[in-house]
Formats: sequence, structure tokens, C-alpha cells
Amino acid sequence: MIRRKILFIGLLGSLFQIFLGCVPLTKTILSPGSPEDLTTCTNVFPVGPWESVHKIEAVITGGVSFSLLGVTRGDPNKRRLHSFLLTPEGFILFEGLLGEDGMTIQKAVSPFDSPAFAGGLMEDVKGLFLPPPGKPARWGRTADGTRVCLWEGPDGFETEFWEAKDQDRQILLRDDLGEVIKEVSLKGPFVNGLASYIELRASKPLPYKLKMTLLQISP
Amino acid sequence: MEKTRMKRFLFFSIPIIISLLSAEAGSDQEWASLKEAAKNIRSVKSEFLQKRILPILTKPLRSEGRVFFQTPGSLRWEYLNPLRSVMLQKGDTIRLYHFSEGEWKPEMTQAVEVRRMVIAEISRWFQGRFDESKIFKNLYVPGPPVRILLTPKEGVDKFIRRIEIFPGTRPGVIERVEIEEPGGSRTSIEFRKTEINPNLPSEIFEKP
Repeated sequence: MIRRKILFIGLLGSLFQIFLGCVPLTKTILSPGSPEDLTTCTNVFPVGPWESVHKIEAVITGGVSFSLLGVTRGDPNKRRLHSFLLTPEGFILFEGLLGEDGMTIQKAVSPFDSPAFAGGLMEDVKGLFLPPPGKPARWGRTADGTRVCLWEGPDGFETEFWEAKDQDRQILLRDDLGEVIKEVSLKGPFVNGLASYIELRASKPLPYKLKMTLLQISP
Repeated sequence: MEKTRMKRFLFFSIPIIISLLSAEAGSDQEWASLKEAAKNIRSVKSEFLQKRILPILTKPLRSEGRVFFQTPGSLRWEYLNPLRSVMLQKGDTIRLYHFSEGEWKPEMTQAVEVRRMVIAEISRWFQGRFDESKIFKNLYVPGPPVRILLTPKEGVDKFIRRIEIFPGTRPGVIERVEIEEPGGSRTSIEFRKTEINPNLPSEIFEKP
């Protein structure tokens, strides 16, 4: 009987979490954020030039999976990212640059050579390592103290950043209908603003999952 | 198609140009003795440390793994960390797997064809058959240190510059491989704890 109650409470909790993730932040009650909260909205991303190496495990449509190494060098001040994807042997499958002038693909091997794939890949890198441009439209705290920041994009898309008291972080990207299309879970410890473990789940236009483990960071 | 595959392979394997001008080709006798030494090798077991140097990284990317080779054409090239993956060759059959979510999974993507060509190339190196490559020209450099220099045969040096293979003091043993790419990227593979002619179970080349 007790076990059933525990299961029921657990289920309720899970449903609540799912529900919370689906409700647009514009409809979530937030206590007004302080100026300090606004500052920390962007401080959760790496500050200053950095470089990192991640182990990336990906599962794409049809259950196809692969493991790669991801090398990224970032300069948040210039909003610039330089990314590589390598096979375990060191073969460079993809090299892309993202800067103020837009995206440039330096090298790409199939399937990373498709413009859609390459564009989506660099969008993911940008979403993980650079804060959205400009100031958040809203920020504050939920009743349980979770810090929340929301950026509105020009296309009606929204990026939400959630940071619970245990410091685990979440980034949600919603489309113009308010539906979550990407959900990123960031686990500590955090080194220079980079999470030790990242899990990205995309649902639209195609579902895929990325698990990224931080292997190396400089400086 | 063939050209693309070759470019990809070269892109992967990575490069060189050595100071070909200063290198002295060894005599046919030295070349022959090197191949003769390799002829006595029936099997090899070794560990390796791979360092990948990319211009954008201040620290090299380090990978560790092990390799098993058995004549006439069996090879297991395995990375243990940071990513677990394995390339298996037995005769003409080459399979690639990666370890993910607690199990080995067949490799479906990521330039599989290129990696197949690479494993075939490495297999030739362990047999001293450097002159049988369709992709590289070979040159014996008496040194010191003695080394075998591989350069791309066609005008694809924008992807690969050179590969240098450094034989060890023991006959038939490869001590180190250096691969150079244009643009400053390099890969160094150091072999250690090499055992010559150990008994290897056949399944090591069949199952991940």
C-alpha cells in the first residue's frame, strides 16, 4: 500500500515536471527578479575565450547512434564559435565557424555536409555555449526559488533558462506556438561556465538526442 | 566517386611533406631487410597513445587504445578512451563498432568507408607491405632515425602532407607513426608494450 502511494507521488511529481516544462514561461508565475538575477542570466554561459573537448553520444531518427569528439573554441564577447566534430581516430568530419558574419562551413563529410544538418549543428552549439543576444525580456524566481530568465527571439521563438537551487540547469527552446522543441539539461560541476554533462533532446523538426561529457577545458 | 573516397581518406589519415629534398633513399638492400623482418611476424599485440594536435587547441587531444594484428589479414584497432570504438578486419570483412549506452553498436555513419580504407592501410604496415599502397608513395629514409615516409600519390596534398613510420629497434616493430595535415594539424601514435607473435584467439578479430 505504502509502495503504491510512493509510486503515485512519484508519478505526480514527474507529471508536474513535464507539465512545468510544457507551460510557456509567459504563463508561469514569477516573483520579480532582482538586478542581480538579471546579471546572472548571462553569467551561466562561459565568460571570456575558452576551448573545450566533449565526448558526444548521439541518437538520431531510426535509432541510429554514433559517438564523436566535439572540439569547440568560443569567444562570447565576439559571439564567435569554432567547432569541430571528429571520429575517435581523429578524422575531422565537420568544421564550422560562427561569427558576426554568420556561419561558415570549413569542412564537412557526409552526412554533416548537408546545409540543414550543418546549420542545425551550429545552432545547437550556439544554443549551448552562447547566451541569446540582448537582454532577457523577463526574469525572476518561481515559488520554489528556481531562477528563470526568458529571451524572446525575433521569430516568435523563446529561450528559457532555469536554474534550480541544486544548481542543475535547464534550457528550453519554444517555437512560436509555445511548444518545447529543444530541451537541454546541464549538470554540474560547472567549470568556467561549462557543464560537466549536457543532455539535449530535440523534438522538432526531427527528434534526436545528444549526450555530451566534458573531457577537457582551457583555460 | 573514387576520387572523393581518396580525398576523404587522405583527409583522415593526414600528412606531410617531409623534407623530401634532404631525405636520402635507402638502398634496396635496407628496404628488403625491413620487409624481410616483417615477414617473420605472425602476430602483434600492442598498446598505443594517440595525440591529436589541432591548431585551435592549446592541449593535444589524447586517446588510448590497443591493436592486435595477425597474418594474413586480421586486425583489431581499438580505442579505449575517451571514446570506446573498434575497427575489426578479418580477411576482406571489415566492421566498425562504437560503445554507447552500455553496449557495442555497429557504426552506421561517419565516413565508414574511409575508415575501412585506413584499417586496410594499417594492416599493410604491420606486414611491411608499404609498397603495395594504392594511395601512398613510399620512401625508406636511413636516418637516423630510420623511418618510412609515405606521401600521397596524386595531387591531393591539400588534404594530406605526409605519414612517417618509425620502426623500433626490434625487427618488424613499429615504434611511432606521425601524420601531418596541411594547416598545422598533426597526429602522433606511439606504440608501447608491443608483443611479437603472441597467440591471439580468432574471436578477437570477429567480436567487439
